[in-house]
Amino acid sequence: MAREWSGIQQFPLATQTKLLELLGTLKEKARDSLTILVMGKGGVGKSSTVNSILGERAVAISAFQSDVPRPVMVSRERSGFTLNIIDTPGIVEGGYVNDQALELIKRFLLNKTIDVLLYVERLDSYRVDNLDRQIVKAITESFGKEIWCKGAVVLTHAQLTPPDCLSYDEFFARRSEAVLKVVDSGARFKKHETGDHPIPVVLAENSSRCNKNDNGEKVLPNGTVWIPNIIETITKVATNESKSILVDQKLIDGPDANERGKSFIPLILGFQYFFVIKQLQKWIKADIAKEPKSSWE
Amino acid sequence: MVSLRAGGVYTKAQLQKELETLATCGMFEKVDLEAKTNPDGTIGLTVSFTESTWEEADHFRCINVGLMQQSKAVDVEDNMTEKEKVDYMRSQERDYRRRMDRARPCMLPRSVHSEIVQILGQGNVSARMLQNIRDRVQKWYHDEGYACAQVVNFGNLNTNEVVCEVVEGDITRVVIQFQDKLGNVCEGNTQIGVVRRELPKQLQKGNVFNIEAGKQALRNINSLSLFSNIEVNPRPDEKNEGGIIVEIKLKELEQKSAEVSTEWSIVPGRGGRPTLASIQPGGTVSFEHRNIKGLNRSLLGSVTTSNFLNPQDDLAFKLEYVHPYLDGVSNSRNRTLRTSVFNSRKLSPVFTGGPGVDEVPPIWVDRAGVKTNITENFTRQSKFTYGIVMEEIITRDESSHISSNGQRVLPSGGISADGPPTTLSGTGIDRMVFAQANITRDNTKFVNGAIVGERNVFQLDQGLGIGSKFPIFNRHQLTMTRFIQLKEVEEGAGKPPPPVLVLHGHYGGCVGDLPSYDAFTLGGPYSVRGYNMGEIGAARNILELAAEIRIPVRSTHVYAFVEHGNDLGSSKDVKGNPTEVYRRMGQGSSYGVGAKLGLVRAEYAIDHNSGTGALFFRFGERF
Repeated sequence: MAREWSGIQQFPLATQTKLLELLGTLKEKARDSLTILVMGKGGVGKSSTVNSILGERAVAISAFQSDVPRPVMVSRERSGFTLNIIDTPGIVEGGYVNDQALELIKRFLLNKTIDVLLYVERLDSYRVDNLDRQIVKAITESFGKEIWCKGAVVLTHAQLTPPDCLSYDEFFARRSEAVLKVVDSGARFKKHETGDHPIPVVLAENSSRCNKNDNGEKVLPNGTVWIPNIIETITKVATNESKSILVDQKLIDGPDANERGKSFIPLILGFQYFFVIKQLQKWIKADIAKEPKSSWE
Repeated sequence: MVSLRAGGVYTKAQLQKELETLATCGMFEKVDLEAKTNPDGTIGLTVSFTESTWEEADHFRCINVGLMQQSKAVDVEDNMTEKEKVDYMRSQERDYRRRMDRARPCMLPRSVHSEIVQILGQGNVSARMLQNIRDRVQKWYHDEGYACAQVVNFGNLNTNEVVCEVVEGDITRVVIQFQDKLGNVCEGNTQIGVVRRELPKQLQKGNVFNIEAGKQALRNINSLSLFSNIEVNPRPDEKNEGGIIVEIKLKELEQKSAEVSTEWSIVPGRGGRPTLASIQPGGTVSFEHRNIKGLNRSLLGSVTTSNFLNPQDDLAFKLEYVHPYLDGVSNSRNRTLRTSVFNSRKLSPVFTGGPGVDEVPPIWVDRAGVKTNITENFTRQSKFTYGIVMEEIITRDESSHISSNGQRVLPSGGISADGPPTTLSGTGIDRMVFAQANITRDNTKFVNGAIVGERNVFQLDQGLGIGSKFPIFNRHQLTMTRFIQLKEVEEGAGKPPPPVLVLHGHYGGCVGDLPSYDAFTLGGPYSVRGYNMGEIGAARNILELAAEIRIPVRSTHVYAFVEHGNDLGSSKDVKGNPTEVYRRMGQGSSYGVGAKLGLVRAEYAIDHNSGTGALFFRFGERF
């Protein structure tokens, strides 16, 4: 049973107004609940982002502890609308994708429907590597390529001074491009699939040191008020034309390789009989005929 | 021709006998023996003769007079009148011409014919020339293998055409005789039809006896493995002049036998070096009841293990009944029915780790069941087998408990039992019925001890939807091996073998239900050398490629090889992805060198994935 979303009260008035407006648009589209899945490497700020969105310390965080040990769903209700956010443990351990963590997440999500996937990364990382691709691959293999149609990338630690002579917007653009490239290659998207609906990238700054504007709202170096911005993006993604992902047993198990091609078996058998077995028999008979006969035969 | 020697002592009777022999041999028209007494008491003997000669001839004809009455040369009797003599000669000529017409043409080819006409062209036909001709004709027959051919007579001598009468050695009877250990004729257990069907067509009644056909018959009968001694002997038929009786004498082997055969395998231990603990004696204990009902049917029971010291590691029982001549002994089609009840236990290479993953809890696969199939042998090496297998497969862990999932070691050090599922049903016990077929086209042969040629094998397992979870699958494997001779060599005993290049490819694929124990594994002495069995991975589709070059060195050969195994990306299509769970690469190559030392192959193989090499000793052939 969901608790009252009391955290919304502690947002500045401007933010509150915006949020309620967005909830209103969702209700118009006959949506009375939303399930958000938050995934990513360890230590990028997943739990912090969850807390920031909810406006309360719903999930425990600590700078030196690696994520939640197991997936946890936090549900809050406000004027008939239920918001579910699922925080997950980081799926990377020791340089490899952690199968155990992935299994835990899959099992936790059984029979839940995911409306939005938040893939969390840090803005202030300069490199992308193979490990990032492995993570995206693991997510894709677990839930299917379609989950990225309901996905948004969140870049945390967004209050930064960009290096060298890059402007903030330039840095943001470059970093987004790098991360999206990894998502495209890890999820094996072909060019035409992503062209129409690119995955949105949003910025987040979860620390209390985040700058505030005149209305007291948390604001980023490029002027974005990021909490309403992220909720707006979430709303857009939730209400886009792609279907929400229902995590059923079949999805978790993956396409059954045993069933694939089974209906072709009679054809394959026919091919093997006529083109392989009969052909080899013909060759054997030819060998026997070609066999040099001794002069006395 | 003269058997008397200087210095010998002879009686008058002996001298007269000698004279008679010389006179009647047909070579001489007149023979005279003159004795002169020497001053020292010895006798000097002079043999003077007039060689028979006849008119010059330019035609030659050879006829086969086997199985016909021999013509008797009858002398003209002294008390005949002139007219009677002439009539007699004419009737003789007529009889002879009739004889020539009745006779069969002989096998002599055109080339020999022309050779002999050339000999005739040298002058008058003399006895010496006839001897020459006789030797030439007999040489041709004996060179071709017709060991019983003989020139018996020359006829039509005073005409233009010389006729040569030959007895080629026609077979009148083939007798099959069984002998006991001491060589006495006895009753045989084997049915005659079983031996008869192995005789080549040339060795039947009505054909000319050829020694090569006899040798082929010996080889064919030997391959039945029913006899300890086989003899194929021709002897003249007393009842039919010129006829040959072929006698086949057989000594039967014991019907019941028990046998123990052993072999050693040396497995590399730590650091790649073979240690004492890694020398494993393995082998087979078997009993056999052969030649049941005389029709080469047999019942064979055997127990095989690859390690006598620890038999539960890899143990197999089998009881098999073999029933050849399925279409009947007299039908030339060679089909054999085999039915067997089997029970085997093997370590599953699907549940083993990659390099660096030491402790993967092993899974044992127990298979028990019945299989029956029909094998049609087209040649000694090529055959087609098809049949049905009904089996129960149980997967167990180290403590022999039924295990439905592989185990895996958690990073925390604990063991969890939620690894990939081991069976199709998910319970650890599968029962299924499926059809199997295998066609092998093998036309390899040995050239001075090196194997040359090509071999192609296609194997198919088709699930019939009968069993746990109604399995329907089509598992197929195609193996192609080519042994290419790189240099022409003279074939013969003691001659060196040629260098050989071996190219080998093996493709395996499965469409439909695939339980983990039936997944194809990569790595191992018959897959990719230099890796342990299954070390590279387990997958739904695999491709293995190998190349080896063999160079003859003194009395043996050395070789270098390169091998590669690849899962074609299908490791994840095995339920639970055991390749990834146990941290295996999915593909791997190896290369190395080796030498054949008697029965053992000693080779050093480098595993390309980990870059380490090890020394291996193996029995048998890789391809």
